[in-house]
Amino acid sequence: MPMASREELLADTFLQLADTLVEDFDIIELLTMLSGRCVGLLDAAATGILLADVHCSLHIVAASSEAVNVLELFQIQNSEGPCLDAFRTGQAVVHGNLGEASPWPVFGRKAIEAGLPSVHAFPMRVRDTVLGTLNLFMAEAGPLASADVTVAQALAHAATIALLQDRAATDANRLSGQLQGALNSRVSIEQAKGAIAERAGIGMDEAFRRLRAYARDTNAKLTDVAEAVVSRTLPASQMDILLGADHGLKPDTA
Amino acid sequence: MTTAHERWLRIVTALGARVGPEPTPAVMCSAAADLLGAAGAGILVMAEGVPGAVFASSSLAAALEELQFTVGTGPRVDAHAAGVPIGEEDLEAVAADRWVGFCGPAVEAGARSAFSFPLRLGAARLGALTAYRAEPGPLDEETYADALVLAEVVTRALLAGQAGLAGASLAIGLGDAGAFDACVHQASGMVSVQLEVGVGEALSRLRARAFADGVALAVIAAEVVALRLRFDYR
Repeated sequence: MPMASREELLADTFLQLADTLVEDFDIIELLTMLSGRCVGLLDAAATGILLADVHCSLHIVAASSEAVNVLELFQIQNSEGPCLDAFRTGQAVVHGNLGEASPWPVFGRKAIEAGLPSVHAFPMRVRDTVLGTLNLFMAEAGPLASADVTVAQALAHAATIALLQDRAATDANRLSGQLQGALNSRVSIEQAKGAIAERAGIGMDEAFRRLRAYARDTNAKLTDVAEAVVSRTLPASQMDILLGADHGLKPDTA
Repeated sequence: MTTAHERWLRIVTALGARVGPEPTPAVMCSAAADLLGAAGAGILVMAEGVPGAVFASSSLAAALEELQFTVGTGPRVDAHAAGVPIGEEDLEAVAADRWVGFCGPAVEAGARSAFSFPLRLGAARLGALTAYRAEPGPLDEETYADALVLAEVVTRALLAGQAGLAGASLAIGLGDAGAFDACVHQASGMVSVQLEVGVGEALSRLRARAFADGVALAVIAAEVVALRLRFDYR
């Protein structure tokens, strides 16, 4: 009964979101969890959440996969791609087959090369303001069912709500402050990935996995751990645990 | 969605017109006070983790920056430490145990509200930009959004200045603003470990190298992340 199981998973996702929002949560961890859930709910190969900074460049703040080729597909959309279109128009962009008449020549070619021939983007909006987009990459060409469009847009709204609820971001609950707080959190995490990768001699995706696993195991916020790593305020013994971490982190989609 | 972009262009244009090609922190303070309609604006620049230089647009701002330096408390102290904007709408009405040693003298000096915005790029904490106003009340939504953009622009200019590119630092700091992708931040983290320096300094070294080689920052960053370029020549 695939429909029933999806409804259960969707309900569970929103329940987990509601539980998290009453606590002092880490926005990047929450958006990463949502990205992971999108994969299972929408049968996507990869998903990501992009937010616009103060000069309207889009930045990936959370993804279901930290694989380099996937992150690049998000990043290049500052030039062209469904996310940029969804961000600019505030409308969902659904594209079932990039192999046929892609409106984005460079992006389309790279997505197909990565084995992701179908791509969709959903705006994250508050009233008239578009904050960013939720992006889906599919492994098979084909249209997105209307039920899937509804679910995807609901998840984009959920991500927006999480962003608005991030009390750690600013003093006054202001939208622009929330957005900048989330973007800075992600920058700290990228800096920490670099520092961890350099120290442990590992790749960026594994560095992220260890950072996240350590934060979970110690019940700390992902961003706080990232900042402690970069500023070298994490005690050496804790750093050793983080660097050597083999925590067997369960994927979000489980 | 063009409003954020329009705001960015407006601030950059206004700042560029006021500060010219040499955006020293002192000149940026005056421009910030103008743009935010404040009685004064101050910029704190951290040096190796401790408060370094302070700059101010007016004697009021200078006095209040100096005061926070002395008493070790106040909006810009908190904004820098927390990494998020910290404001107070009425310095006369704050609780007695908040910012002890700051609020009383600040009101006496003629300030009724203060709003401080961190100058940061992720874990690189450079300092804070603070607007001091003579009247109580919140910053309206537009002015608040302008202040966030200003803080971002000042951060970029400071980082470019630290890379030894002072002559064109504003142009460089703004020109490659969109090029600050994940790879640049990852490379900054790697180089900070290689050289045992702060991540802001590491970014400056990356940028100086890119400038010397005549290539984009993102190109140098990609070389570092791909393990084809090290900065410690180990």
